[in-house]
Amino acid sequence: MTSRIGCRDLRVVARGRELLHVDRLDVAAGAVLAVLGPNGAGKSTLLRALARLGRHHVTGEVLLDGSPAGPREMRRAVAAVLQRPILRRGTVTANAAAGLRLRGVGRADAVRRSVPWLDAFGVGHLGERDARTLSGGEAQRVALARALAVAPRVLLLDEPFAGLDATTRTDLLADLRAVLDGLDTTTVLVTHDRHEARALATDTALLVAGRIRQLGPTEHVLDRPADAACARLVGYTNLLLPAVTGRLAVLAARPEACRVSTEHHDGDGIAVMGTVRRVVPLGGGTRVDVDTAAGTLACLGPGGEGLEPGRAVVVTVAEADVRVLVEDDPALATCGDPADVVHSG
Amino acid sequence: MDVLLDGFVQAVQLLLGGDAATWAITGLTLRISLTATVIAAIVGVPLGAAVALTSFRGRRVVLAAANTGMGLPPVVVGLFVTVLLWRSGPLGAFGLLYTPTAMIIAQAVIATPIVVALVAAAVQQVDPDFLVQMQGLGATRGRALAALFGEARLPLLAAAMAAFGAVVSEVGAAQMVGGNLAGETRVLTTAAVLATSRGEFALAIAFGLILLMIAFAVNLVLTLVGQRQAVPSR
Repeated sequence: MTSRIGCRDLRVVARGRELLHVDRLDVAAGAVLAVLGPNGAGKSTLLRALARLGRHHVTGEVLLDGSPAGPREMRRAVAAVLQRPILRRGTVTANAAAGLRLRGVGRADAVRRSVPWLDAFGVGHLGERDARTLSGGEAQRVALARALAVAPRVLLLDEPFAGLDATTRTDLLADLRAVLDGLDTTTVLVTHDRHEARALATDTALLVAGRIRQLGPTEHVLDRPADAACARLVGYTNLLLPAVTGRLAVLAARPEACRVSTEHHDGDGIAVMGTVRRVVPLGGGTRVDVDTAAGTLACLGPGGEGLEPGRAVVVTVAEADVRVLVEDDPALATCGDPADVVHSG
Repeated sequence: MDVLLDGFVQAVQLLLGGDAATWAITGLTLRISLTATVIAAIVGVPLGAAVALTSFRGRRVVLAAANTGMGLPPVVVGLFVTVLLWRSGPLGAFGLLYTPTAMIIAQAVIATPIVVALVAAAVQQVDPDFLVQMQGLGATRGRALAALFGEARLPLLAAAMAAFGAVVSEVGAAQMVGGNLAGETRVLTTAAVLATSRGEFALAIAFGLILLMIAFAVNLVLTLVGQRQAVPSR
């Protein structure tokens, strides 16, 4: 398995501050890598540094097919889709052809090659529409068609679903997955949403404060967070400290896996005593925040309706639903599944 | 009221009659003001784009200066250019005072801040990630910039219109550095001032009408070009 795009010792510095430092990253041909991170972690910076875009000072090597690549090689190999679909004046068809036109392809040829991609993203019927009249979802579909029309070796996606409503996003995720499945294109998706990573990516990297904390197959990374920061990113937001569990290590659990009840039965797994701080009815169930001796736990699910603040309760989590965290140490950069090359799915 | 009406009628007769002197004045006006606008664009478009797209030291100072310069009184510009070009002044050796060249210099000085400020505004209204997106589709820096200017062409045309409109209609600087010499530096505005002061209202109104028509024609052409490109083909 060869690496399509990668980097070695990639650093981005702005105003004397290091925004990003990635020792080593390799993504195989045809693979989809999700870079998951909170706001400000350096996700977009990583994407732009890989593509040699933007104005930041970048040091280190970007590798294309294993060899160091400069801006010129990267420009030919890469197509990017940004968070906002930046379309030009003119029709949808003209916009879809814009990438090829910018690469010097003639107008008729560019249109002929880009129209099938509009169809692939379900916006072929909008070809004659003025691009400025499109909805957010339609515009993002055109932006994706425009990027894939240039037949990029590497597709870079910078939170392209972030501005869309839930239904539109789910539909587009499904369509994009179907399109990418048939291609040799390597995709790097930057997102803060673990559901997008699960829907699209064969592999996932967790980026926190400019460093890759964990890297491996998506299912593994999303289900086996290495440290507290990684746990928060993938939805294990409840930290169970040794002080309340009696265990040696810090445990983490998803709010959906935490049950709240007024009495404690043995054999319920891990049980933590606390008092109800607040009860918030949500669409799918009720969220109950419980104050414990070591922090607040959020419990999400049915059965919290009768509780009122101040009530003494027990929060229980099944053993299978807790994850053991290692020390929150940045030195353990690849404490997930250390993999030299991210595998293709 | 009669004076105005008579003046209007006579003005139209004068224009239809094809008076050679009037046409010469009109031609000189166009030559000076268009040249000044082109020079202002050559200087002002890169500067305005740089102010909008880069973050060099003193960027805001340039922008503030350009915005102030938009309201620069032509008389003040005329004064400084006159002093510079005065026989004993720093550029006096070139003997440019009271020549069309001097008028072009003064009008270019008036127009440049207008171009800088309006080009900066035009470029800034395009998405800040536009260049990154174009380059992210495979465009070179040059091609991406060309696409950016294409995207902002309507406000860029508006900048050109505003600059030309300002210089073709100004009288202070043209009078001071040109001197309103008949057949040499007399333009429509200075000619209108002179005719008015002599009580030749018909002539003054004729010059005024030509000025209005020039302004309208230039703006019409630019607007048509802009609108034709704005609407998708077919």
